[in-house]
Amino acid sequence: MSGSAGRFFRLLPGSGRVALGIVVGLWIVAAFSPVASRSASDIRLENRLLPPSTAHLFGTDDLGRDLFARVVVATPISLAIGLTAAAVSLLVGFAVGGLSGYLGGAVDLLLSRLVEVVLCFPVLFLLLALAAFLPPSPAAIILAIGLTTWPGDARYARAEILKAKSLDYTRAAKVAGASTSRILLRHLLPNVLAPLLVSAAFGVAWAILAEAALSFLGVGLPAPATSWGGILSAAPAYIEQAWWMALFPGLALFLTVSAYNLLAEGLRRASTERGGYR
Amino acid sequence: MAGPDRVVAVRGRPAVIRYVVRRLLLAVPTLAGIVVLVFCLLHLAPGSPVSALGAESGRRVSGRAAIEMRRLYGLDRPLPERFGKWISRVVRLDLGESFVDRRPVGERIREALPYTLTLNGLALFLTLAIAIPLGVEAGGRPESVFDRISGAALFALYSTPSFWAALLLQTLFSVKLRWLPLYGVSSDPEAAGMPGLLDRLAHLALPVVCLTYGSLAFYARLVRAGVAEARSADYVLAARARGLSRREALWKHAFRNALLPLITLLGLVLPGLLSGSVIIERIFAWPGLGRLYFDSILSRDYPVVLALSLIGAVATLAVTLAADIAYAVADPRVRDGTGP
Repeated sequence: MSGSAGRFFRLLPGSGRVALGIVVGLWIVAAFSPVASRSASDIRLENRLLPPSTAHLFGTDDLGRDLFARVVVATPISLAIGLTAAAVSLLVGFAVGGLSGYLGGAVDLLLSRLVEVVLCFPVLFLLLALAAFLPPSPAAIILAIGLTTWPGDARYARAEILKAKSLDYTRAAKVAGASTSRILLRHLLPNVLAPLLVSAAFGVAWAILAEAALSFLGVGLPAPATSWGGILSAAPAYIEQAWWMALFPGLALFLTVSAYNLLAEGLRRASTERGGYR
Repeated sequence: MAGPDRVVAVRGRPAVIRYVVRRLLLAVPTLAGIVVLVFCLLHLAPGSPVSALGAESGRRVSGRAAIEMRRLYGLDRPLPERFGKWISRVVRLDLGESFVDRRPVGERIREALPYTLTLNGLALFLTLAIAIPLGVEAGGRPESVFDRISGAALFALYSTPSFWAALLLQTLFSVKLRWLPLYGVSSDPEAAGMPGLLDRLAHLALPVVCLTYGSLAFYARLVRAGVAEARSADYVLAARARGLSRREALWKHAFRNALLPLITLLGLVLPGLLSGSVIIERIFAWPGLGRLYFDSILSRDYPVVLALSLIGAVATLAVTLAADIAYAVADPRVRDGTGP
């Protein structure tokens, strides 16, 4: 598999490679973020609402904490929640979509209705209800995001499985007497790996945005943990005095989300191999 | 010429009716599923096993609300009975009354609805008015300078969180330049005539922009992809060969063929706009449905939360259904039963 993975990344367009570089860079920042944790929680009221300077690169917040340090410390939290929530969504989505596409018939009809039902709800409506009604914890946020976004992944997986199902090797495996689970795991899964990867990258971008929106609205992570959305939630109250409180945490969020989206777009181009996105 | 037309009409009608009936029948289980899912949401509310867990971990629910929930939804009754009760209330369109001010939920929703319709209607109009020409031009010449620049811009917009954009626009236009109000519906609710209208439009400007750009980026990319695929089709080449200008071939042939799938995708824009409304209406203190929903979540006003979830989902289902049926009627392949 590593050979084809290498080939895959060589196919990545330039923008996708840049995006991959940014993503790797963000994870490195996340790995070293504990270094900044002291100054991120250092409350000094005499320093409150200071504009950006050499001493405080991103300025300070309403409690005099260094915003740069806070943005750095929030990095692993935003990234990890995005990644795990996307994983939950992918797992549920590909299980439902895969079964639906592979088994067809009544199962497909039923599961497709289920997907349609969830898609009818405005995502944020469900997300807010789950996040606010479940006991507050990172796990609840991850579950809330994963459980509201899987229908998109399910539709995608179903279409891919339908495509792969009609190919000769699948039919050959079936004729040879392979079981359903064997066909699904050994023959179909490897062939939907590329779409899975594309889905995952888009999913992480979306999940990071969703978590930020929840934390911005005040129903995200409980107090001591801070994500970019959580830092931004203090900005509206000081919009007349401190523009930096809105600009910098949002910039980190924007950079991360666009990097993951760009990476996903690049992966999709690479997997269709035809160039020119569709 | 009357002959062939009649044949199509006679052959076509049953196919369309069959399609519409099938589509409506498929919507019935979906509608049922929506009702069941909202019923499940109710079980996250106080008085249910889930909320008992919540109380332990520190999310407290007022005793009054819990008692109210028990009385209203009979949460001490067995599950099938509860479900039956819920269904009968939904069927009678009995949405209950708000925990917050004891007024009927329907009344509170009717008050907020015009604000959300204004905001989302304008956003939807702007989305289509900008996304369609942009997508057609970009899709008509893939990989051209215009396509690359608009593609990059749309991509950036697509990745920009709406609440961040709102804060930046407020900083620029309201705080620094002082051109537009920070938030609210109007500065002087009594003002009438031209000044009053201009004041209201000034208050609408930023929220509409923030709500529009996301769906604009989403939809323009879809239009572009559809047109880019259709432009190399035989009928577009044939139109060019017949002497039609590039522009005519693009709009009359490529776009019209790309339009059909775009109609059905329009159904997906509605839940997106409603989601966006929650954030935008909160930032701009806009008293619409999104804000009502968020305030109800915070104040644990379950009847309002459940009613709005139900209405949002059913509205989306209705729009999707209408789009699918419009598609069937407009597409001769579906209409005559000769295509997929």
